[in-house]
Amino acid sequence: MKQLYNKTATFNFSVLLLFLLFSICGNAQTTTTQERVFIKIEIKGMACPYCAFGMEKELKKVAGVDNVEIELKEGLAYISTPVSQKPTKESLEKIIVDGGFTVGKIEFSDKPFKRTETKKKE
Amino acid sequence: MLGLEGNGIRTFGKFISKENANIYVQPIGIPYNITPKFQIGGIFPFKFITPKGAETNGGIADITLFTKYQLYKKDGKAKTFRILANLKQSFPTGKTSSTPKIGSGIYQTYVGLIVGKISSTIGIYGDLGYNITSNGATDNFLYNFSVGLPLLPQKYPQKQINTFLEFNGNYIVDPKIHTIFISPGLQFIPGRRILFETSFQIPIIQNNISTNKTKYMLLLGTRFLIN
Repeated sequence: MKQLYNKTATFNFSVLLLFLLFSICGNAQTTTTQERVFIKIEIKGMACPYCAFGMEKELKKVAGVDNVEIELKEGLAYISTPVSQKPTKESLEKIIVDGGFTVGKIEFSDKPFKRTETKKKE
Repeated sequence: MLGLEGNGIRTFGKFISKENANIYVQPIGIPYNITPKFQIGGIFPFKFITPKGAETNGGIADITLFTKYQLYKKDGKAKTFRILANLKQSFPTGKTSSTPKIGSGIYQTYVGLIVGKISSTIGIYGDLGYNITSNGATDNFLYNFSVGLPLLPQKYPQKQINTFLEFNGNYIVDPKIHTIFISPGLQFIPGRRILFETSFQIPIIQNNISTNKTKYMLLLGTRFLIN
């Protein structure tokens, strides 16, 4: 009887522990996603890997940006910043123009954008 | 081309094999973008000449300062077409007192146009200009035309290998001397900041040159982005 009680208690404790663990992880992910703003920038004229690097280093200077992903073939750059440091559309346009390129559409989202190419992270 | 290379240092070592001498030139080019449309820079060449049966003489050759101004730009998705005005001024900083001479001993002003079209599938580049010289030396037309093709699909920031075929021409007005070199080359981009390029130049036309014809040229260069 005691053995059965111990087994049940252990099982219950394990279920509780797993539930707590998933709750913490789920909340952490939701919190991280909610705290950031995701930005997709269309950059026209970015035609070579060497010029893509020039753009990447400029976009990394934007406050709050720690990762820049570039899709060279699509002429797109993806960045994200904390919501509190969300850059203005005008400031991003200036970075692209100063880099020697033509700026296209700039989109802001509270969720990450779907990539059209295989992504390559930093 | 302006706006595409950023701020960086470019070296392009050139070994020239002539009939009566071997020449090695190692220029260091430093461009700087003042505005997105306006670039200035300097080329600081070191030149070493070894005449056949004589000792090597070397040192800094003629320094060149240049400006490029973007006259026209049409950008699209992963492609661009640009036209630039190009002005260069060379100074006779190279030694002319020793033999063989390291410098030209003259001032040279070059006025030209650069036209380039780059996309993910092809790169076409043309440079045409007129070189005005001082001290009664002859002026000349210079032109370069190159076509580049990527060997591997262009992805970023993965490794990249491109091949290119270049034609380098020089037309001296008086006496009429025309030279054209054909130069197949390779470009390797191993990472974000650095690029290696190499090419082999062979003369296909060397009109009216009776002595000291160029046999071939071998070029090896790097481009390194700063900031």
